[in-house]
Amino acid sequence: MKKFTFNLIVSALLLSSSTMFSQELVVKSNLEGLTMSVGETFKPTSFAENLKGEKTMCQAVIYYNKKGVFSTAKAVTVNRGEGTIRANEPGTHEIVALCIGQQGQRLSRTFPVQVDFPKAKEIKITLSSSKVYEDSYIPLDFEVVDEMNFTRKNEFFQLSTDSNNIEIDAFNNVKAVSPGKAVLSASFDNISTSLTIDVLENPVVKLELKAGLDVARTGDVVNYEAIGYDKSGKRIEGLPFSYTFSGKAVDKSNTASGLIMSDGKFVAEVIGDYMISASIGSSSVSRPLKVVGRGIEREVLKVGKGVVTDKHTSDFWVFEGVDGRDYAVTGTWGADGTSFFWDVTDPANIKKIDSVKVDARTVNDVKVSQDGRISVIGREGASDRKNGIIILDVSNPYDVKILSEYTKNLTGGVHNVFIDNDHVYALSGSQRYYIINIKDPKNPVEVGMFEVGKEGQSIHDVWIEDGIAYSSNWRDGVYLVDVGNGIADGSPSNPVAFANYDYATGAHHATFPFKSKSTGKFYTVLGDEIFPDGVDENNPNITAGFLHFVDFSDLDNPVEVAKYELPGQGSHNYWIEDDILYVAMYGGGVRIVDISGDLLGDLYRQGREIGYIMTGTSDGYIPNATMSWGAQLYKGYVFYSDWNSGLGSSKVSDLKPDNSKANQYINKTPIID
Amino acid sequence: MSRLLFLLLFTVSLGYSQDYYFYAAAESDDTVSLISFDGETLTEEERIPVGVMKTENEGPHGLTVDPSGEYWYLSLAHGTPYGSLVKYSTTTNRPVDKTTLGMFPASMQISSLTGLLYCVNFNLHGEMKPSSVSVVDPETMTEIKQIQTGVMPHGSRISPNGRFQYSVAMMSGELFEVDALTLEVNRILSLDKGGKMNHKGMHHSPVKPTWVTPHPTKPLVYVAGNGSNEIIEIDTDLWKITNRIDTGKGPYNIDISSNGKFLVATLKGDAKTLVWEIEKKNKTVVPNNTSVSHGVVISPDSKYAFVTVEGVGGEPGLIDVIDLKKAKVVSSLKIGKQAGGIAFWKIEE
Repeated sequence: MKKFTFNLIVSALLLSSSTMFSQELVVKSNLEGLTMSVGETFKPTSFAENLKGEKTMCQAVIYYNKKGVFSTAKAVTVNRGEGTIRANEPGTHEIVALCIGQQGQRLSRTFPVQVDFPKAKEIKITLSSSKVYEDSYIPLDFEVVDEMNFTRKNEFFQLSTDSNNIEIDAFNNVKAVSPGKAVLSASFDNISTSLTIDVLENPVVKLELKAGLDVARTGDVVNYEAIGYDKSGKRIEGLPFSYTFSGKAVDKSNTASGLIMSDGKFVAEVIGDYMISASIGSSSVSRPLKVVGRGIEREVLKVGKGVVTDKHTSDFWVFEGVDGRDYAVTGTWGADGTSFFWDVTDPANIKKIDSVKVDARTVNDVKVSQDGRISVIGREGASDRKNGIIILDVSNPYDVKILSEYTKNLTGGVHNVFIDNDHVYALSGSQRYYIINIKDPKNPVEVGMFEVGKEGQSIHDVWIEDGIAYSSNWRDGVYLVDVGNGIADGSPSNPVAFANYDYATGAHHATFPFKSKSTGKFYTVLGDEIFPDGVDENNPNITAGFLHFVDFSDLDNPVEVAKYELPGQGSHNYWIEDDILYVAMYGGGVRIVDISGDLLGDLYRQGREIGYIMTGTSDGYIPNATMSWGAQLYKGYVFYSDWNSGLGSSKVSDLKPDNSKANQYINKTPIID
Repeated sequence: MSRLLFLLLFTVSLGYSQDYYFYAAAESDDTVSLISFDGETLTEEERIPVGVMKTENEGPHGLTVDPSGEYWYLSLAHGTPYGSLVKYSTTTNRPVDKTTLGMFPASMQISSLTGLLYCVNFNLHGEMKPSSVSVVDPETMTEIKQIQTGVMPHGSRISPNGRFQYSVAMMSGELFEVDALTLEVNRILSLDKGGKMNHKGMHHSPVKPTWVTPHPTKPLVYVAGNGSNEIIEIDTDLWKITNRIDTGKGPYNIDISSNGKFLVATLKGDAKTLVWEIEKKNKTVVPNNTSVSHGVVISPDSKYAFVTVEGVGGEPGLIDVIDLKKAKVVSSLKIGKQAGGIAFWKIEE
């Protein structure tokens, strides 16, 4: 092989012969135009053929599913021992035939293989409403069950009716137009079925739309309840109302936007006049809603900084030391294994007071015990590849001492770590976390381990609060694990998972539990980490992703209700206290967001942002390049770390934004008294 | 015929200066460097950022260049949780395609027979259980198959005829031969002196083999016994160990010159590199310019060995060039942290 690279001429000669092979020949196979049935096995034969139709036999042919080796490729599987392929799932799939020529040249071709859906065995139409009233569209679900017991939803049935009180349009929308029995007929794959629908006369003669508020702020969730009354003035129960809204923004260049739910919850994003409507059949009722600004914007003032000038800064933790003074520890990224300690007692005068250097390139995460005596830092990139954690005595942060190194089961690198009640929760190789008792910090002892237990399990972070470990597991979402709370009889040595929620993007990297003081609801706030364009060393990195607010009030039925998404910037680490979110949004700085009250929809667009700071500094490692890593509210100050600048502190003032500094064309949200 | 042509052109080329080009990965900086060497001085032509997640270390580990020289391939060790293989153009050094592999994919090579790429899934930080060799079609960048081998497989190298892929399992102490056509394990050889390994009764191999390289012309492969401080010679016709050669501490990666004269092995534990003249049985140990010697590739003209040296902590990684005739370092270059994977690209006249 090296001779190929050594001599260009030799390479060219050999390459040209290979190219000739591929240019003059094409793979022919009985895979061409192949249609299979589910469960069928087929033995492909392939050869190479030139333009004159002359055959060249392959030394060997390797067949494979173009989707690779993972579960998505199970639709058609290859048995190389038998030399066969087997169709397992309906659809159009791609099989590659790779012909190894007699002289070793390769030639390949991709063949689409059609696997037919099995013949339909049964078709179903389901009415998803208990009552159907005249002048309304009928909610229907369509389903096919085939002979292999595959179920398909939303196939396009041929619908027809002889009844004149329902109408079918070209897209299979069915409208009830007058009362009476109607028979809807459907056919698919030569199977027919029918559904009898009892279209009811609209009994409603009077409608009422109740609401808790007629003037609301952007972001306030207003609950609407429509009530229908019959001729006798009696309330009719169980009416399937449809809720809609329209509106006009105060700002003529803006659109009155918001979100309305099927249960009548409404939240407005923009100041303006809205009309909320509820309808049933041809009857409807409306109610106006005036929406005003939240009026929560405040000046956020930079207070102090502890600049790290020669390396990237990673995570941080601010804590009260045993001497009653206030301290912080910061990690470093892609550097030399240094962690810095800071005196932040005066947030305006942050002082670097000590540092610890260990064998690592990245100290991604740093945490401190509740009593301020022990710090744990995670190692990545250790030269001996053992990584693990380092346990530090920080009882005197001016003179930090290494107490022990612990690497058992942690050689894959400890990306994130947490300390809770004499136990360290340390991630291992992006797959699981181990629980280590550090009551004797010089002799740590592993007592437990938690993993999701799925193929391809992966983890990015773990956070402990009230004896519950919240692990962030990328595509597997958040796992709530009892490590001492008692809700599931768990303990550090017996971690027991009791709830889980995942979402489609699979980018879940951090979790913060949030018990709303204003509503009593319990949420987990789940953060994404996404770099949509990959790494670009020469330009600011593009980040994406947002915070998902999941209502976990019912642990068995978590519901994602809201999001915080800053346009153009992705989320990283965050903190929540007193119904206020402090979130590092990478290039978007640290954002401070009012998350009081019920939460629904897009929180950023609802004007819930109190303020923000850009965390870059002119004297940082990369000057003026904000890359906010994390935020923590501590004794009234918003501390933060910035990847390019180090540590900083800020304060949310009582002052409203100084409009004299603002561009005159910025339309600050007016408050209507 | 091609050997004759090779010799002819080699002779003609002696009168010209040559520039050597190769790629080297910096595992803790998420960068790959394209480096040239003009016979005297190393030059970093380009430092290429790799990976997707800016604030996560993705660990570029293994490198190979395809036989045409059009593309280079990089294994990224860390993912969620699986690592990946990225295909880059040598013209632009920009990625053109990517596929997911297994846990901690590491070293790899492309078979000149099948055109397929065979990459070991080192699973360095996972459980002590058998891992696999991923077979990838570099044209479609599809992972065709994961072939189960031993615990912590490493050192994926292809026989000169392209028919067999060899790797060693570091913790189970085995040499695996995979049939590049049938994609099945052909033969297994225990490298421990105690005999064959039982995966159920897992133990840490005292040999800790970390690399295997076939001889370019003879039916021999050479294994680095990282734990036993030796190079192990295996006759592939007999499928048995025929020699054990003492080295310094921790031989790690190996390459053999295309003329079959030199075997060069990095001695990770000693921060040195062993230059062994195979026929003469002459061993020279060359100190490297920093600690943790890692990868090695020999130029196709058998003149130079290019060695990556990781460094520790915040130290930069290094490339040391060893003149094989002189058995000494003739040039050195700082690159990114934890320099490891290395692959030769081309010689330009």
